[in-house]
Amino acid sequence: MFDASVPTEYYVALSALIFALGAVGVLTRKSAIMVFLSVELMLNAANLALVAFARGWAAAGTEIALSGQVAVFIILAVAAAEVAVGLGILVAIFRYRHSTDVDNLSGVRL
Amino acid sequence: MLTFFLLAAVMVLGALGVITLRQPVHAALALVGTLLTLAVTYVTLQAHFLAAIQVIVYAGAIMVLFLFVIMLLNVEGDEGTVRLAWVRPAAYLTGVVAAAGVALTAFLDARQLPDAQVITAALAGGGAGALGGVLFNQFVLAFQLVGVLLLTGIVGAVSLVERSAREKGDEEVFGEPERELTRV
Repeated sequence: MFDASVPTEYYVALSALIFALGAVGVLTRKSAIMVFLSVELMLNAANLALVAFARGWAAAGTEIALSGQVAVFIILAVAAAEVAVGLGILVAIFRYRHSTDVDNLSGVRL
Repeated sequence: MLTFFLLAAVMVLGALGVITLRQPVHAALALVGTLLTLAVTYVTLQAHFLAAIQVIVYAGAIMVLFLFVIMLLNVEGDEGTVRLAWVRPAAYLTGVVAAAGVALTAFLDARQLPDAQVITAALAGGGAGALGGVLFNQFVLAFQLVGVLLLTGIVGAVSLVERSAREKGDEEVFGEPERELTRV
């Protein structure tokens, strides 16, 4: 399964493409849930780049190379916490407004 | 190389589905496809533990949470037009420029990959043991902070639910299903 023939820059380019698609989703979707899904896309694009960099820096030794993978692990935990709180807020807003349209949520700002 | 391009094609298709499909459930399932493809890509990059975690935590727990909320709120595939007409083309232009810029930089600064043996030795298969060794030595502070963050998240989520329950009055919120049953 291990594939050493694909250079790191291919993975970085793919990651950039996925990240850009996620950013476009955040900017164009109207429903807050869809904005959240696009944010997940962006987080995962960053994770892909980090895992690719971990392999690219293998010559620097185990500790430096695996730092990339540990960063992905920490990002996963942060994403889980973010989703739990974010969806909680979303449900609370939906109960109050009966809509998740982000254009109507200007009242949430301070 | 072929594996990479196949996975990349599926991943990009899933991502396009997330940002174009009108039904939230369809978009969420497209994201599940992208996340599972990403897990396979992690395996080809020798990150086996992360691949497993990706499937269990992301494609499992987080996406179940998303689907749960989508079905709970019964969100319609409304969409419609964005209020500002120039936002959509501007967003696509920004995305193309950003992706092209990063990809170009990556290809201009291309590095030679180390030998396969060096990679295998350094990453140690990306197993849980190797990852834990780095996590609990170099990243202890980050690990502790993540623990605090998760605790904060739990408290935040509980307080959100608790406050909206108190607004409605506890009786009403917790008594509702029972009344539904008796009415039926």
